[in-house]
Amino acid sequence: MAMKILVVDDSVTMVLSLKTTLTMNGFEVETANNGEAALDKLKSGIKPNLIVTDVNMPVMGGLEMIGKVRALPGFRFIPILTLTTESEAAKRDEGKRLGATGWLVKPVAGNDLVKVIKQVLPGA
Amino acid sequence: MATAPYTEDARLFSAARGACAGQEVEVASNLSPRLRKARNRLLIQTAIGLICDLLLYLALSRLLGPAFIPYSSRIAGLVLLLETVPLLAAERINWAKARQGIADLRIVGTLTKSQLAHVSARRIAMTDELHDSRPYIEVMREQIGDSLTESEREVMKVIEQIGLLIAQSKEQRAKIAHSIKSGKELTESTHLRVENNKQIIAAIEMQMQEQTGELRNSFEHIENLATEVSALTPLIKVITSIAQQTSLLALNAEIEAARAGSAGRGFAVVAFEVRKLSVLTTKAAADMAEKINWTCKKVDSEMAEAKASLQQHESDDAMTHLIGDLSGMQQDFNTNSELLLEVIAEVDASYEESVDRLSQALGHIQFQDVMRQRMEHVQEALVEMRDHMQSMSARIADFGWEGNFDHTFKQILAAHLNRYRMASQTRTHHAVAGGSSSADNSRPAIELF
Repeated sequence: MAMKILVVDDSVTMVLSLKTTLTMNGFEVETANNGEAALDKLKSGIKPNLIVTDVNMPVMGGLEMIGKVRALPGFRFIPILTLTTESEAAKRDEGKRLGATGWLVKPVAGNDLVKVIKQVLPGA
Repeated sequence: MATAPYTEDARLFSAARGACAGQEVEVASNLSPRLRKARNRLLIQTAIGLICDLLLYLALSRLLGPAFIPYSSRIAGLVLLLETVPLLAAERINWAKARQGIADLRIVGTLTKSQLAHVSARRIAMTDELHDSRPYIEVMREQIGDSLTESEREVMKVIEQIGLLIAQSKEQRAKIAHSIKSGKELTESTHLRVENNKQIIAAIEMQMQEQTGELRNSFEHIENLATEVSALTPLIKVITSIAQQTSLLALNAEIEAARAGSAGRGFAVVAFEVRKLSVLTTKAAADMAEKINWTCKKVDSEMAEAKASLQQHESDDAMTHLIGDLSGMQQDFNTNSELLLEVIAEVDASYEESVDRLSQALGHIQFQDVMRQRMEHVQEALVEMRDHMQSMSARIADFGWEGNFDHTFKQILAAHLNRYRMASQTRTHHAVAGGSSSADNSRPAIELF
């Protein structure tokens, strides 16, 4: 059975390119365009094996979402990768503190992203 | 746009003084203090003179006592004379300076009037120009917005095309996988059939070999029979010879019977019949010899043909060839199957490589998002510039404005440094505006915690 990944980004091009990349590499993909929409999906019963999220998004940003996801029952240890243009060290440290598994600065080649996902996702 | 008339508004002078740095205005700016200074000096001098007159008058009245009274009017006149003459002299000097000042003021007034008209015209033009920057900036901002929308739309199309390409490749890969399965099944089925056919052919060959052996035995029997029949030929010669001798003996018996006359007549008849029988025997023997010879020749001829046919059949080895052909076919089929599997494996590897390359290409598409965010920042900066220029336009039109701004371009630009998200934005800022980045660029693009 294919591993499920939740992609959270407000850019439609990013969502589509990530969905295409991950699908052709054998993953099943769910999408959300901000942190709040992602949380709603998780609360509705969708249980991804990994989350890839942007940081700067309208309504609810990625860092706030990471903190809230970690507080949800059953999501304490799910790998969460941030994929963002944000390169400021303070933001990275905040992401790490809130429970992000890794910090990826855009642009990241699709095959590199898949390698990182396979690295942090056991059995992928 | 509403603008105040420059000639009657005293504050305009102050605004113009701040805006212009010409020599004429510098002169004008010095004129007013000069006049004020002359007026003050005149007042002080007059006051001092009057005080001195009063003190001198009081001192003389005290010193002289009652003797002062008769001369008081003369002394007062003298004191006034002594005070007024130098005062008049001083005022003459002051008057000359004041006249010079007024002359200067006339010149400067003329120059300032012209300068203020010029400044006012430039102010109006600048106000209009600053005001007109709004649509210009709006257009540029919209151009950027449209470009971003368009590029996003086109990038979406590219991604969709890549998605379709991948879906097709995946479908083809599935078909190829199905073909592999079918190919393997066909190969195995064909292999089994060929093996069965080979067994059948081998059985047929064995049966034919047995039949050929039996045929050879039959040939040997026929040849032996023909030899035996040929062996009858000398016996026929013996019969012919006996018949000929019998015929001669019968002829002699006939001659002797004739000589014996009537006594030998019965013997002559027997001798005649014997001779006749020997002639018939000779003829039958000849016929038999001829038929035996013909039969032997016919048997030899038929046997030769049968042997030749058998040899030809044995040398053809058709069944062996057929089995060989089938084995060759099977071998070719196996070879082609292996080749097909290799091709399929290459197609599969090519698909994996395509996926890898397309993944890389899709990663590069993230540049569109990076560019979008940078351009959105530029759009925000354009809005700030628009608002600031509108504020400048409004303030220039305001004669009460003292020359202060809520924010300056320098401050607005510096504030951007705190709003950049990408190291590249900060680098560009410092490359153009100067300064150095305090950002930590040593951390990798991919960092796992």
